[in-house]
Amino acid sequence: MPQLLISGLSKSYGPSRALTSAALDLRGGEVHALMGENGAGKSTLIRNLAGLEQPDAGTILLDGRPLTLGTPKRAEAAGFRFLHQELHVVPALDVAENMHLSRPYPRRIGLVHWSALHRAATRALHDLGVDHIDSRTMMGDLGPGDQMLVRIAATLLPADPTPWLYVMDEPTAALTGAESARLFDAIARLKGQGAAILYVSHRMDEVMTLADRITILRDGAHVATHSRRETDRDRLIHDMTGRALSDLFPPRPAPSGAASVLRIRNLRTEGIESLDLDLSTGEVLGIAGLSGSGRGALLRALMGALPRQGEITLFDTALPDTPSGAWQSGLAYIPRERRSEGVMPARALSETIALPHLANLSRYGFLRPRATEALVHSLSDAVRLKSTGPGQPVAELSGGNQQKVLFARAMAGKPRLLLLDEPTRGVDVGAKFDIYNLIRTAAAEGTAVIVVSSDLPELIGLSDRIAILNAGRLTRILPAAGLTEAALLSACYERPV
Amino acid sequence: MSALARRYGSLFGMVAIILFFWIALPETFMTARNWINITQQLSMLTVVAVTMTVVMVMGDFDLSVGAMASLSGVVAAVLFTQDWPIPAALGAALSVGLLGGLFNGVLVSLIGILPFVATLATLTIFSGAAFLASDGKTIFGRDIPQAFSDFARGGLPIGSLADKPLLLPSLTILAALVTLAIWIILEHTTYGRRLYAIGGNSEAARLAGVRTRALRLSAFAFTGLGAALAGLMYASRVASANPVQGDGLMLTAIAAVFLGMTITRDGQPHVLATVAGVITLGVMDNGLTQLQVDSYVRQVLVGAIILAAVSFSAFGRRALRGR
Repeated sequence: MPQLLISGLSKSYGPSRALTSAALDLRGGEVHALMGENGAGKSTLIRNLAGLEQPDAGTILLDGRPLTLGTPKRAEAAGFRFLHQELHVVPALDVAENMHLSRPYPRRIGLVHWSALHRAATRALHDLGVDHIDSRTMMGDLGPGDQMLVRIAATLLPADPTPWLYVMDEPTAALTGAESARLFDAIARLKGQGAAILYVSHRMDEVMTLADRITILRDGAHVATHSRRETDRDRLIHDMTGRALSDLFPPRPAPSGAASVLRIRNLRTEGIESLDLDLSTGEVLGIAGLSGSGRGALLRALMGALPRQGEITLFDTALPDTPSGAWQSGLAYIPRERRSEGVMPARALSETIALPHLANLSRYGFLRPRATEALVHSLSDAVRLKSTGPGQPVAELSGGNQQKVLFARAMAGKPRLLLLDEPTRGVDVGAKFDIYNLIRTAAAEGTAVIVVSSDLPELIGLSDRIAILNAGRLTRILPAAGLTEAALLSACYERPV
Repeated sequence: MSALARRYGSLFGMVAIILFFWIALPETFMTARNWINITQQLSMLTVVAVTMTVVMVMGDFDLSVGAMASLSGVVAAVLFTQDWPIPAALGAALSVGLLGGLFNGVLVSLIGILPFVATLATLTIFSGAAFLASDGKTIFGRDIPQAFSDFARGGLPIGSLADKPLLLPSLTILAALVTLAIWIILEHTTYGRRLYAIGGNSEAARLAGVRTRALRLSAFAFTGLGAALAGLMYASRVASANPVQGDGLMLTAIAAVFLGMTITRDGQPHVLATVAGVITLGVMDNGLTQLQVDSYVRQVLVGAIILAAVSFSAFGRRALRGR
C-alpha cells in the first residue's frame, strides 16, 4: 500500500501565514478526514498537494522517497486526483465524453471509435458500482451527485500510473441524502481497491460514519490525528474550535404566552400535496425529511416563489403570493443556494443586504444613502460579519461570511417570520455558532422561524418542534427536546398515512 | 495594483488620446469652439448611449435603437407634411419610441426571447416601418417647419469669441439633461438599484422581492424613448428626415457603453462611464477628421481602439482573479 507522509509544511501569502506546520499521514486503503474551521489551512494544504502552490518549507514523502510537487502535472503523475465542490463538467456532452475530457479518445483509422469510448466509460462506471448511469446520458441531465460519480468513475479509466489518492473537498455540499449515500458506496469501493481518500468536510455525521482516521488543523498547524473509533464529536469540535459541543447550541428558553403567527391550511404546490401547519411567535420549527419530501418547496411556496394553492394567513391576514409581497408583510428568506439564489457575487455586499428593504430606505423613490449605510453597518455588526467594508464584493468573502450577509439582510426590520433553507451549509463551526445564536436571538424577540435542514443534530439542537415531511405530506410533529438523531431519522422514513 | 491598472489604464488611454490631438492639432483642437462643436456632434449618440446603459446594467441590450431613431425622425417629418403642429408631431414620434421600447420589453421579459434575437427582429420591423412611412424618400425643405430646425441651430449664449457670439448648443444642453436624468434614475432611485440587482443576480433579486419581470419590461421603454428623442434631434440638426439616418447610432452606442465599462471599478455599466466612452469615440472622430485621415481608415482605427481597451480590461481582470 502506498503511503504519503507530509510534515512541517508551511506556506505564507505576504504577511499572512496560511500554514505553519501542517502534517498528514495518508495510507492506501483508508478514508482520512481532514477537518478544521475556515481559515485553518485545509484549502492551502490541498492546493499544495495539487501542485497549485509551492510550499515554503516542509517535506512530502511518497513511500519514503521525497516528492516534489509544484505543478498539477506532477501531482497527477504521483497518482493524486482532486474532486472539488464545483465540478467542471460540459453539460452539453454525454457522460462518456465528459469522462474522456482530459485523455485521448479511443480511435480507429484516425476517427473517434464511439463504441469503444462508450465501452470504456461503461466499464469504469461499473467498476465504481454505478450501474444506474448510462454513458450516453447528457451530463447536463444528471444531478450534481451523479455528475460527481461520473467524475470519480473517469479516474478509473485505465491510466498510468493508476491513481491511488482521491482528495474530495466538501463533496456532499450540493448533494441530496440519496446522492450522498451513492457517493459513500463509491468511496467504500475505492477504499476496497486500495485507494486512499482524503475527505474534507464540515459535516460531522459524515465524517463519523466514513472516516477511518481524522486529522484536525487549526490556524495552519496540525492539532491531532485521531482514529475514529477512539474519538467522538465532542473531542473533534473541541480540537477544531477550543469550544465544547454542548456550547454550540444556545439554550432553548421555555415557551411563553405565544400568539399565532402563521396558519397554513391545505397548502398545495410543486412537491407538496396537502399540508396544514401552525406556528406561534418565538417558535423555531424545524423541518426534516428526506430529499424529495417537499422541504424546500414549502419555503419557496410561502415566499410566493412557487405557484401555490391553499389558505395561508400571517397574523390573520392573507399572505401575499409574490416574493415582493412576502418581504413586505414581514417574511424574510434565506434560500438554499447561496450563490445562485442569494447574493449578487460581483457586487458590493451592502447592495445584497439592502435589496429587499429599498422601499424603506428611500423617500419618493429616491434612495437615502445615509439610512442605507447606517442599516448595513448596524446589521453587519449584529451578525459579526468579517469584511473589509460594505463595498467589498460578496464573492471575496468566505462561505460563512456570505451566509452572514444573507442573515444581515434577513434580520433588517425585525422579520415576523424567518424562513431558512439549510442555513449552515458549507459554513465552518465558528460561523455556525454565530448563526445559531442569531436564530435564537431572533426567536427570543418574537420572530417565528422555520428551519429546513438535512443536518439532523442541528435540527434537534436548534428547534422547538420538528415537523417531518414525507412525499409532500406532513407525517408527524415531534418536540425536539430529548429527541435522538436515530429516532428522528427513523421518523423521516415513516410512510405518510 | 492590477485593479488600478485596469481601471485607470483606460482612463489614461483616454487622456492620452486627447493629449495626442492637442499636440498634433495645436491651432484648432483644444479650442472652445471645437469642443462645443464636439459636444453638439455627440449629443445624439450621448442620448442613445446613456439610455442604452439602462438596459445594459441588467445585462440586456437593445439593437433596435438605430432603426427607432430613423423611424421617429420620419414619423415627425411625415406628420409635419400633414400640417400637424410641431408639439403634436414630436409627441407622436416620442410615443412611437415609447411603445416600440415597451414592445421590446414585452418580447424580452414576458415572452422570454433573448434580447439579441428580439431586438434584431424589431430592428428590422422599425426599419421597414420607417421606409413605409416615408415611402423610401428623404423629407426635407419646406416640409420641415423652420421652428423645428431652428432648435438645433440655437443655443444659450455663454460669451463671445473673436466678436462672434459663443453659443452652448441646445442639442448639447438637451443631451446633458437626459444624462443627468438617467444618472439620477440609475444611481439614486430604488428603481435604478433594482435594475443593478437584476444584472447582479436575477434569481436572487426575484427571491429578494424585486419584481424582475415588470422592471425588465419597463427599462426597455428608456431605450425606445431615448432613441426616438435622438432621432428627432438628428432630424432637427439636418432639417430633414430619411429612413436610414439614425441607423449608425446603434453600434457606436453599444461600443461607448462597453468602452465605459472598462473604467468602472466593478466592470459594470455606469452612466458617467458611458459618457466618457462617448467622448473618447467623439474626440477620435473629430481629431482624425481634422487630421484628414481617410474615413475608412478612421473606422479601422476606432474599432482597434475599442478592442485594445476591452482587451486591456479583460487582461487586468484575469490578473486580478489569478492573484
